[in-house]
Amino acid sequence: MSELALFLIRIGFVAVLWVFILSLLSVIRADLYGRRVISRIAKQNAPMLTAGSAASLGIEDGDSFDPTEIAVLTGRTAGTNIPLENKKEVLIGRAPSSDMVISDEFASSMHAKLVHVGPDWVLQDLNSTNGTNLDGKKITTPVTIRPGMTIRIGTTTFELRS
Amino acid sequence: MSNVSLTQAIPMLLKAVPRSRNFEAVLLFWVAGIHAFALAQIQLAVSQRMSWDMLYYWAPPTISAWILHYVLRKYVLNADGLLLPLAFLLNGLGIAMIYRLDLAEITRGGEDLFAERQVWLSCFAMLMAAIVVRLVRNPLVLRRFPYLAGAAAVVLLLLPAAPVIGRTFNGATLWIAIGDLSFQPGEIAKILLAIFFAGYLVSRKGPLSEIGSRVLGMRIPRAKDLGPILLFWVASMAVLVIQRDLGTSILYFGLFLVMIYTATGRGFYVGIGLVMMVTGALVASRLFGYVGARFDSWLAPFATENYTAPGGSYQLVQGLFGMAHGDVIGAGLGSGFPQLIPLAESDFIFAALGEELGLAGIFAILAIYLLIVYRGLRIANTHQDDFSKLLALGFSFVLGLQVFIVAGGVMGLLPLTGLTTPFLAAGGSALLANWSIIALLLVLSDSSLRRVKE
Repeated sequence: MSELALFLIRIGFVAVLWVFILSLLSVIRADLYGRRVISRIAKQNAPMLTAGSAASLGIEDGDSFDPTEIAVLTGRTAGTNIPLENKKEVLIGRAPSSDMVISDEFASSMHAKLVHVGPDWVLQDLNSTNGTNLDGKKITTPVTIRPGMTIRIGTTTFELRS
Repeated sequence: MSNVSLTQAIPMLLKAVPRSRNFEAVLLFWVAGIHAFALAQIQLAVSQRMSWDMLYYWAPPTISAWILHYVLRKYVLNADGLLLPLAFLLNGLGIAMIYRLDLAEITRGGEDLFAERQVWLSCFAMLMAAIVVRLVRNPLVLRRFPYLAGAAAVVLLLLPAAPVIGRTFNGATLWIAIGDLSFQPGEIAKILLAIFFAGYLVSRKGPLSEIGSRVLGMRIPRAKDLGPILLFWVASMAVLVIQRDLGTSILYFGLFLVMIYTATGRGFYVGIGLVMMVTGALVASRLFGYVGARFDSWLAPFATENYTAPGGSYQLVQGLFGMAHGDVIGAGLGSGFPQLIPLAESDFIFAALGEELGLAGIFAILAIYLLIVYRGLRIANTHQDDFSKLLALGFSFVLGLQVFIVAGGVMGLLPLTGLTTPFLAAGGSALLANWSIIALLLVLSDSSLRRVKE
C-alpha cells in the first residue's frame, strides 16, 4: 500500500464515523422540534359509548347521582382524587395518555372508561385483559355507577364521590 | 375503519411497522460496513494485504445484532431505533481494536490473544439482550422485588472479597474466578442497584421530598429520612475499602445521588452526598496505601518515583504518549503503537483508540456514548410511569458516569480506576451487563411509546 492510499483510508475512516453520527441528527431534530402525533384510535374508535348512543344500549335512568371526583381507595395511587368536573369521559388504563393512569401489571393500556351520560356516569370495559370489577363482579356490558359502588382494576380500587 | 371494533383495530394498527425499526435496520447495515472498513484497514496497515480472516471477526457479531433486531421487531416494535446500532458500533470498534492488538502480539511472538474470545462474548451478550427483551416485555415486573434486587446487588459486590473465588488484579479486588472462568460481579450489580433505587425511591419519594424543617432557605430532611443516604454512603465506602477501587465506589454512589435527586427534586441530597463522598475519598487516600498511590500517579504522573513504582503511573504515561502521537486525525488503525500500553485491550482501550483514531476519532466515540445517554434520558423524560422514568434515568446515567470515570482516568483528569470502558473493553461481564442495560432501555422505550404511536 502506498503512503497516500493509507493516508486517505485513515482520513476516510474518521470521516465515515462522523457522517454516521451526523446522519443521526435527523432523528434528534424530530425530538427537538416535535413530531406530529395523530391518535387515530382515539378519533375513530373511542366514542363507542356516547351520550347519544347510550339509550340504544339500554342503560336506564336512575336516581340522580352527580359525582365530582374519583377517589382512589387502594393501589399505588391510593389517597389521590381525580376531579370529574367538565369531563365528558375519563379514559382509564396503563397508557400514559389516559386520564387516569394505573401503573399496574394487571391493567391494560386502555382498560376501561367512564362516560358521562345525562346525569349519570357509565362504566365500560374496553376489552381489557384482566377485566374490570364493579362491586366484586366482572362487568361485561356498560353499567351505570350508583353511589357507593367500588370499581376495581388490577390492584387499584376507586369510587365516585360527590 | 368505523365498522371495525376496537379489539380488531389495535392489532391492525400495530402491524404497520413503525419508522424506528426500519431506520434501525438501515443503521445496522451502515454499522456493519464501518466494522468491515475498520478490520480491512487494520489488515492493510499491519500485513499489507487483506485476508478472509476478517470475516471471523465481522460475521458473528453482525449476525447476532440482526438476531437482536429481529427479536425487537417481534416483541417491542416501538422501541428506540438508535440504541442498538449505537451500542453495536462501539462493540464492533472494540473488537477491531482488540484484533489489531492481537496482530501486534502475534508479531511480537506473544500468545495473549483476546479478539476471538471478545467476538464470542459479544455474540453471547447480544443474544442475552434478546432474551432479556423477550422476558421483560413489561418493565413493571421489575418493580415487584426491589429489596431482593438490592440484596442481590450487595451480595454481588461482596463476592470478590470472598476467600476462595475472589481475585485481585492491579490492586483492585473486582473479580471472582471459578476455574478458568472469571467474572466481574460489580457490572451486574449496577443493573440491580438501579432497579432497587427506582423501586425504593418511587415508594418513598413523598417523605423524602416533602417533610423537614426549613433552615436558611433549604429544606433539611428529618433525621430518619437521612437514614438511607447514610446507609448507602457507608456501603459505598465499604466497597472502596473491600474492593480497593475508587471508581466502583464513585459509580454506585453517583447513581444513588442522581436517582434520589430526580425522585425528590432536592439539591440538598446532592450537596451533602458530594461532601460526604469527597471527604470519604480523601480520608481513604490517607489511610489506604493503594488509594493514595492512585492519587499520587494522578497528580504527578511524570514524577520519576511514580513512573518507576510498580503499579505506578507508567501505564497512564504510555497512554498519554500514545494519544499525543495520535494527534488530531490519528495514526490510522493498525499504524500506531498501542501495543506499548500495558492492558491496552481492556483498561486502556480508550487510549489505544485515541492513538489510532486521533482526537477526531475519540470525539466521535464520545459522541456515540453521548447519543446513547441522550436516548436513555429521552426515554426517561417521555415515560409517564414514575418507576420506569427513574429506571431509564438510572441506566443512562450509570453508563454516562462510567464513561466519564474511565475516559477521565485514561486522560489524567481523574484518578485511574478499575472500571471498564462500556462496549469497547475486552471482558465478558461488562459486555453482558451493558447489553442488558441496552435491552432494558429498549423495553422501557417501547412501553412509553406504545400509546403515542397508536
